[in-house]
Amino acid sequence: MHRLRYLVGSVTLVAAVIGAWWIVSMLRNLDNLPGLLLQIEFRDVRGLRAGGDVRYRGVTVGTVRSIAIASDGGKAVAQVLLDPTGAAQACVNSAFWIVTPRFGGITGGATGLDTLVRDAYVTFQTPAERGSALVAGSLIAGREKPPPAADPETLEDIEHGDLLMSVLVPENHGLRPGSAVIFRGMQCGDVRAVDLAPDGRYVEVKLRIARKHRQTVTDKSQFWVARPTVTGALFTGFSIADVSALLSPYVSYYAEPGQGVIVQDGWRVAASSSRPNIEPAAVPQDALKQAPATAPPATDDLVMVRITYAAIERDTLSADDPVHGEGTGTLFLDRAGRAVVVTARSLVDGAYWVDDGFAGDPEIEDEQIKVLLGNGTVLRAGRVWVDPNGADLAALVLENAPHDLGGTPPKRLHFAGAIAAPPASLAIRRAGPDGAELPPVALGADVVVTLDEALGAAVTAAEQVIGIYGRKAPHGTAPTVIALELLPTDLRPN
Amino acid sequence: MSPALEFRNFGLAHRRPGAEEVLLEGVTLTLVPHGFYLFVGASGSGKSSLLRVLAGLVETREPAPRLTGELIACGEPLTGDAAAARDKVAAILQDEGLLDELSPRANVELALRAANRSVLLAPGLLAQAGLVDPPERTAQLSGGMRKRLAVARALASAPQLLLCDEPTAGLDAAAARKIAELLRQAHDQDPDRTTIVITHDHAAFAGLCEGVLVLDPMTRTLALQGPEFRVAGAGVASTRNSTPEPAGLHWLRSCLLQASAILETVVESWRRLPPFELGQVLRTAARFSIEPALFVAIAGAVIGGLAMFFALRNNPLQGGFESALLTGTGKVSTAVLVPLLCGFFFTARTVAGAAARLGTMKRTNQIAALQMMGVRPADYLLTPLVWGMVIAMPLVTLAGVVAAALAAALAAKAVSGITMLGWATAYFATVDARDVLVVLTKSALSGYLVALCCYHLGTGPKRSGAEVGQAVNAAIVFGMALVLAVHATLTFAVYA
Repeated sequence: MHRLRYLVGSVTLVAAVIGAWWIVSMLRNLDNLPGLLLQIEFRDVRGLRAGGDVRYRGVTVGTVRSIAIASDGGKAVAQVLLDPTGAAQACVNSAFWIVTPRFGGITGGATGLDTLVRDAYVTFQTPAERGSALVAGSLIAGREKPPPAADPETLEDIEHGDLLMSVLVPENHGLRPGSAVIFRGMQCGDVRAVDLAPDGRYVEVKLRIARKHRQTVTDKSQFWVARPTVTGALFTGFSIADVSALLSPYVSYYAEPGQGVIVQDGWRVAASSSRPNIEPAAVPQDALKQAPATAPPATDDLVMVRITYAAIERDTLSADDPVHGEGTGTLFLDRAGRAVVVTARSLVDGAYWVDDGFAGDPEIEDEQIKVLLGNGTVLRAGRVWVDPNGADLAALVLENAPHDLGGTPPKRLHFAGAIAAPPASLAIRRAGPDGAELPPVALGADVVVTLDEALGAAVTAAEQVIGIYGRKAPHGTAPTVIALELLPTDLRPN
Repeated sequence: MSPALEFRNFGLAHRRPGAEEVLLEGVTLTLVPHGFYLFVGASGSGKSSLLRVLAGLVETREPAPRLTGELIACGEPLTGDAAAARDKVAAILQDEGLLDELSPRANVELALRAANRSVLLAPGLLAQAGLVDPPERTAQLSGGMRKRLAVARALASAPQLLLCDEPTAGLDAAAARKIAELLRQAHDQDPDRTTIVITHDHAAFAGLCEGVLVLDPMTRTLALQGPEFRVAGAGVASTRNSTPEPAGLHWLRSCLLQASAILETVVESWRRLPPFELGQVLRTAARFSIEPALFVAIAGAVIGGLAMFFALRNNPLQGGFESALLTGTGKVSTAVLVPLLCGFFFTARTVAGAAARLGTMKRTNQIAALQMMGVRPADYLLTPLVWGMVIAMPLVTLAGVVAAALAAALAAKAVSGITMLGWATAYFATVDARDVLVVLTKSALSGYLVALCCYHLGTGPKRSGAEVGQAVNAAIVFGMALVLAVHATLTFAVYA
């Protein structure tokens, strides 16, 4: 025990000496660590401290090693060490600046507010046209404020279908990348860039109009740079237009409804730098049509829906196979008010009818079930029940179904007991590819309806659904009628 | 040839608060050389006090006994500066004063070295005392063997006057007789030697002595009787004459002695700084460094880690200014907080043991034995203590500071995900070589003062085990106070 205590103590002392040596050597060799050591000159380091971060796109990629006054006293020099990740992003034309709280005036807004409660840090931006890589020890002139080109970094990405166009104005009144593009007081896009024409005769403002609003821009649209304007006279009174542009100017446009044609990408239009004397057209009368106060009355007929099924069958030895199926389902509301679609299991369960070729269970993934209603609405559906005895019958529940969705009346669904009509009166009701119901087909000995045509279709007798049209066997092609009475009670209407 | 011992109107009195106890007065007596004398008298009559005066073992931190007349040993006066007589006198104290931390042979070798004699004589002296093959550790010796070793060690300086205080106490009759015969043999081997044995055991020395020195407590005088003299009765000291001494004067004298003792400790620490035994200094430094290292390192890691953890976790700015927090915490931890607490932990861990060791040595007359051997206690005890603590405290503090820094790095990583590079840059941003120098200076100075405190309190008068315990407590408290004072003063002086 005595020796063990001495051994532990000796090891501790040795470890402490090694630890001290390691810390000292690390501090001495900080400049030699993997990465890129740079010196950046600033007129004012404005709160930057040794140990502060160097960030690129908000990610810490280096550390401020020291701050000193240049030998001539004219600049402050921050020595920063970029780690390999940061060094890979920096190049000779990268712009370095110090992020501190800045207020760019009424139009410029405030930036760097996070450094109110955090240390100031150095950040940099590298243009798309990268220059050559920086070498260790380079002395770089830092920027005293963020470069204008930094702003697009905060813009939303352009999405496919957005309208990209340019508005040419005689004078820019504070527009900057990110400024809003307003139509009828609603933001429909944003300014992407503001550039002076090469010959200096106008300012080109590049806009993005969101895809859903691009039809509002026509060749008749009038654009202007919105800024507060005072109109009127001493005796008539004054009015101020576009007061909202006081803090942040924006681009506004207007087009009379129904005038002009929709423009293409790259459209260039001249605009004034002041508001034109126009008044937006009044709200059209047809827009005043009141929405129905209550849900539409429930129809007395069957409600047939079109079902689309898609999945992937994973194969170990070969490429994965897509699984696809389409067919019909019968929609009704169960006792809990849920929108239930009853259909053939072989339509909505790939594992039920897909054969993997090795007499094993297929591995089905990424199942998607979509239900197309008669009015064109597409809803997702989840399979909530399949017949436990292997019959080709399944029930789906629609997700996010409208609360006013109507279903097949309960009296048209026959779940048990004798069928009033003789079998000769059987008919098939099904939905077409567009969701609309196809004409009924009488099911008789001389009428052959294939499963491809009517899988999951409702089989009716005496105007009542008694079952669905499904497969006789899981992997078979022979059709049969699956009785609706197999459906469990809790999925039936009251 | 000069007499072995000569009293000329000699008087001896203890100074007590408010009183002065007279033990001897008007003693005039001459003992011829080469006599083997028994010294008898009632218990508490002052035999041991006279022996300590003869041996020069007067407690310097208490009012010294008042000596009157003349006392001459081996031709050298013992009153006043008695340094010349010290080399000629040796004493075997009642509880031997063997240095338990040394082996039996090393005890004898130390005495030989102190007497400037060859250490090769040690086996012969041990064999002469009947210890041919002694155990390795002195603590393993039996009572009889301890007496024999004490005799061997006393003979190492070849004294002309050998004083023995109850050498047969605690032994059975046979063992007592053997010790008595051993003393007689040792006496006979040197024709210049005079031996005086304080004893109540006449039977053990029957036929071995030439005379009996009798202290009469009634008359407070000494008389030399024939070898067959026996003390009548139980031998209990009777009443003493006392001469009142003002209590205030006694208190003032005690205070001045304490102050001079502190000053003496400081002066001794410088005068005796060159190591008497380099090996002992190195062993002490190693022990003081190694034993508390893990304890202090763990304590430092806990302090450093918790300081960083709470600084970052309880940051009111919710993660803001973390590098500033790192820098501030790093500076205060490295330069002030952790060194101070490491000094506390080091003091608590080492001072108790060191003070207890010194107190026990004082209590068991080991320090008196050192003085008897001619070894300055400062050489043997203070110098290793000073060197050990001056070396060990900075080293152990360094371990604590390093552990605190690494724990802080882990805490910074765990709480805020700060990288090692970022931590090192910010944590040590304002720590420089001056801080390290100040920390080492504070630690070394603390170690020096703690060593002085420990030595001074440990080697003070000890009449009971309770006084040893009080000395240990006082050493810890005053040691920590000194550490705090040094750190606060130097920190304020350097940084304020």
